[in-house]
Amino acid sequence: MPLVLRLIGVQLRAQMQYRASFWIDVFGTFVLQITGIVAILGGLSTFGAVAGWTISEVAFLYGMVEISFGLMDMIFSGFDPPWFSNLVKQGQFTQLLLRPVGLWTQVLGSAFLLRRLARVGQGALVLVVALSQLQVEWTLVKALYLPLVIAGQVMCYGALFVVGSAIVFWTIDSVEAINILTYGSTEMTMYPMTVYPDWLRNIFTFAVPTIFMNYFPALYFLGKPDPLGFPAFAPFIAPFVGVAMLIFSIGVFRIGLRHYQGTGT
Amino acid sequence: MSTHSGAAPMITVSHLAKQFSVTKGGRGLLGALRGLVAPERVTVNAVDDVSFNIGRGEIVGYLGPNGAGKSTTLKMLCGLLVPTRGEVLVNGQIPWKDRRKYVANIGAVFGQRTTLWWDLPVIESFNLLRHIYGIKPERFRRNFDAFRALLELDPFLSTPVRSLSLGQRMRADICAALLHDPSIVFLDEPTIGLDVVAKEHIRQFVLTINRERGTTVILTTHDLSDVEKLCERVMIIDHGKLLFDDRLAALMQRFGGKRALLVEFTQAYDDVRVAGAEVVSHDALRATYHFDRAETSAADLIARVSARFGVADLAVREPDIEETVRRIYEEKLL
Repeated sequence: MPLVLRLIGVQLRAQMQYRASFWIDVFGTFVLQITGIVAILGGLSTFGAVAGWTISEVAFLYGMVEISFGLMDMIFSGFDPPWFSNLVKQGQFTQLLLRPVGLWTQVLGSAFLLRRLARVGQGALVLVVALSQLQVEWTLVKALYLPLVIAGQVMCYGALFVVGSAIVFWTIDSVEAINILTYGSTEMTMYPMTVYPDWLRNIFTFAVPTIFMNYFPALYFLGKPDPLGFPAFAPFIAPFVGVAMLIFSIGVFRIGLRHYQGTGT
Repeated sequence: MSTHSGAAPMITVSHLAKQFSVTKGGRGLLGALRGLVAPERVTVNAVDDVSFNIGRGEIVGYLGPNGAGKSTTLKMLCGLLVPTRGEVLVNGQIPWKDRRKYVANIGAVFGQRTTLWWDLPVIESFNLLRHIYGIKPERFRRNFDAFRALLELDPFLSTPVRSLSLGQRMRADICAALLHDPSIVFLDEPTIGLDVVAKEHIRQFVLTINRERGTTVILTTHDLSDVEKLCERVMIIDHGKLLFDDRLAALMQRFGGKRALLVEFTQAYDDVRVAGAEVVSHDALRATYHFDRAETSAADLIARVSARFGVADLAVREPDIEETVRRIYEEKLL
């Protein structure tokens, strides 16, 4: 068995020791998320539509993000910046450096929050409801591409977590600011990109290219025209952008680690 | 100065230096604000031009007051920190190059931290480490069986780490650091906060693995009984500089101060003074003399005392190492 699975298995067993608190957590998260949806839907129904998107269409965007972010949040629990900054602060990270296995294996194996599945379930629920309201013309390509988009999003959000954790190597107490980067960027992708002013949209096109992760694929799935005039391949690069962002984040993490080993704490 | 057994040293450290850039906190609100905008940075020499060799199978005590540079040195030897200048070779490898290969051959215990899994029974942490280090099952069995007996781990093997006492946790951590047969082990304050029995356990264990496996041991400690019982050789660092590197006996000889002669007389004397020694206490039938080893030998003094008085019993007490090292720090003898 690969070591990372063995380490994750340990995390799961530890969580099962506190079964009651686990289920309370799952239930709590679920209720919290549903409240969130109701609030958003309430807001949207006042307007009827957002930038030419119906409520069901926005719900599609939202459901996709919730599924991917929930999955990512579970798989990348070890790179969640608040968690990672604690690893560094409390010296556990030093212990990882003293073991003869890769840091990725160890950090990913340092936490695995199964309760994040509550968020995935809630996202799936929203997505199914949204799809039942929408007349999507399903093709084989669309059906095959949907999981690829989700995989791409998982990598994209994971990359944000990894970059956030890398920042900890420079400024250990800036977790709040880092959360704005990770959660902020994620939430941006829940809405049609045309609701944002140009400068903000440009940031999420050229600096943090999340526009390709959810907005463009959604245009394709829902059969909506592209008001921004991007090339026709724009909806189809989500998986590649995800991979590229993850590779970039690994680079940033390496630079952070080198800085850390140069300065210590 | 250094004493090493064997031809190739286990550790070679030459002109090792580590500088940290530290933000200087300004005073008051204005200072704090300035610190946010344009922090004033100062360079601190945590380790300053340190050189030494350590031979295979040595046990070396690395001493110094808090903030002297002990931990920084240890972190560089473990590859956790990259030095500003200087070279380190441990077992032919540069610690901060090729991390995974290097740490596979060392063991390290940083006293305050645990390498074990907090929520898991101790035994399961050991099993995970077996996979992490890729230890062959039979070798693991052999080492584990030996260590569990020496460290008396059995009573708490199935207890989760979070429920262990500090002494139990430390024993488990030391076991964990040695399961993969490292040729060298770094112990940073291995006995800190432990009771006498637990300390003794750990000392015995360190001695045993050193003797039976030839494991090289470097340890930092504040407890000088550790040094007394374990280390033939002592290095003292202060303000980042290596001040002393020699055998423990040499340290005592140079700075050990006065030895004491305790005498019990057969009858009471009013005046018990003798040449070459100072009477520090005297009551009815007993007296304590202090004498300097450089001026008077114990044999001479005993001869002098027995020539003048009726002696029932005698004892020579060597100077206390704790007192000696404290004097070195406080009086800046080096």
